[in-house]
Amino acid sequence: MIPIMAWRNIWRSKTRSLVVIGAISVGIWAALSLTGFATGMMKSYVNNAVQNIVSHIQVHQPEFLDEYEVKYNIPDALAVEQAIRAEPGIKAVSVRSVAGGMVSSSQGARGVRIKGVIPEEEARVNALDENVVEGEYLSDKGRNPILVSGDLAQKLNVKVRSKVVLNFQDRGGSITAAAFRIVGIFDTGNNPFDLSHVFVRRSDLNNLLIPATDSSLTADALTHEIAIMVEDIRNVDTIANKLGAEFPGLKVQTYREISPDLELYEGQIKNVSLIYLTVILLALVFGIINTMLMAVLERIKELGMLMAIGMNKLRVFSMIVLESILLGLVAIPVGLFLGYITIDYVGKNGIDMSIYAQSLENYGMSPIIYFELDPGVYLQVAVGVFLTAVLASIYPALKAIRLKPVEALRTI
Amino acid sequence: MKVITTKGVVKIYNPDKIPVKALDGVDLEIKEGEFTAIVGPSGSGKTTLLNVIGGLDRPDEGDVEVGGHDIDAMSDNKLIDFRKEHIGFVFQAYNLIPVLTARENVEFVMLLQNRPKKERRERAEELLRAVGLEDKMDKRPSELSGGQQQRVAVARALAPKPDFILADEPTANLDSKSTANLLDIMARLNEEEKITFIFSTHDQRVIDRARRVVTLVDGKVATDEVRG
Repeated sequence: MIPIMAWRNIWRSKTRSLVVIGAISVGIWAALSLTGFATGMMKSYVNNAVQNIVSHIQVHQPEFLDEYEVKYNIPDALAVEQAIRAEPGIKAVSVRSVAGGMVSSSQGARGVRIKGVIPEEEARVNALDENVVEGEYLSDKGRNPILVSGDLAQKLNVKVRSKVVLNFQDRGGSITAAAFRIVGIFDTGNNPFDLSHVFVRRSDLNNLLIPATDSSLTADALTHEIAIMVEDIRNVDTIANKLGAEFPGLKVQTYREISPDLELYEGQIKNVSLIYLTVILLALVFGIINTMLMAVLERIKELGMLMAIGMNKLRVFSMIVLESILLGLVAIPVGLFLGYITIDYVGKNGIDMSIYAQSLENYGMSPIIYFELDPGVYLQVAVGVFLTAVLASIYPALKAIRLKPVEALRTI
Repeated sequence: MKVITTKGVVKIYNPDKIPVKALDGVDLEIKEGEFTAIVGPSGSGKTTLLNVIGGLDRPDEGDVEVGGHDIDAMSDNKLIDFRKEHIGFVFQAYNLIPVLTARENVEFVMLLQNRPKKERRERAEELLRAVGLEDKMDKRPSELSGGQQQRVAVARALAPKPDFILADEPTANLDSKSTANLLDIMARLNEEEKITFIFSTHDQRVIDRARRVVTLVDGKVATDEVRG
């Protein structure tokens, strides 16, 4: 009967209860939507970075990572490559040669990392072909084709079919230079990356990297970097560990190790939702305290009567806490539902942030944000609100049980 | 036989500021089965005496024993349990639980005693029939008249089978017809069921029906008259 009393009590002041239920629901909705937005934004950053830049797993010769010196190529690269391709759970593999150097036009010069790729393999790993916004993707046709980004093209004042010169050290340590013709302009949406990378055919780059006097290596065996995409991102660590064990002389890194910022961002998603939730719950605490305190103060006489006829303090306390919990239990499903439909809708249709696209792209994010939410957050929010309702009712409930029945009964 | 005994009971309000002696050495003995009115002018200490007897308030001096229980020795929580088991209250303004129906109000005290549901329901219905409210069982207090609410309060006070029923000016807000009706019911319960009623009142209609009248003046027993 006490639950029935508590339930009927909250509807004695309909407007007041509806206002606080509304406040809790909107709070839940806001917490879910904000978290969904933050998660969507960060996932967009991570996905962009993974798909366009770092891929899931990269394999290098350990020393190569210190200075990116071309002499530290992967030994026995062909065998390693074959072994990796034979691993289950791997979607695509791209073998690259990499050189640090300078790209120059008649208008200027920039330091860049030159990536020698096998065009069709690279396209499978990082969708570079889809990021070509002007001209064509790399192919077997022509001599020394190169892809530069729109940002870099602007800095160098070049366009498709313009000629640029690449300067870099070969494996023998001599400076070498060659002219390349721009066949296409790419745009990954990540400005810092775009400005510092150019793509050429691996065969072209390797021919320049291996000096004529060096017979220890053939052009198709010079590999500095093996980029891997796995079928299911959740298996990244398992596969990376397995490869690491298989090739103890090589450095096998997941995207989190290659770009620690990605790991930070992924971890941040959880913190962000907690921060939003905490701020919103803090505001709700005061709203609920206020409501419950009013509910107690306006029926002092009734509470006195209940204690006079034998309702003990524990039961009075429980009744007040239960009233607060019931307010929460009405509000929680409403808020969760509102949050769910918002996240579902924006998750499918996205929210267009193109007015801020330039600044978003500077951070490597897409202009359209799709809300996304880890299902665990719903539970987290529901539990958080429930505990808040309990917590917020403690003070009013204490106030109620401190009443002296004789004095309370005398209250008008 | 259960007895209420007060010996030299003193109750002082506002002891720090302007002390008011609400009770000033009350010696009284009330036995099971009585139909007693405690009367006196406003401020004579009627309500205070009932509160002290009922364990709602503690005396500053003196002893109160109710059915062999020493009220002064009990903790607050013990007092609540004591009231629940031994005392039925009927208050002046129909203090019913507004969100419960008449039947639920009567059942509520038995729920506090952890009685089984079937027993609660049957007794509540039996008591509401006894006070003539068989057709109002599912009405909430706001749907009942003042007299009907007081009859529910009487049924509720009876529900836990208490030793004594204390009624603080139970007719203060009732018209003559409702007052007569309520008094009839209480007198009948007293005679047929041997229920003990102790009222505080200054309503002549109640005083006329009482079988013992204790008059308080300035917190002291002035007269104590037992009628046929």
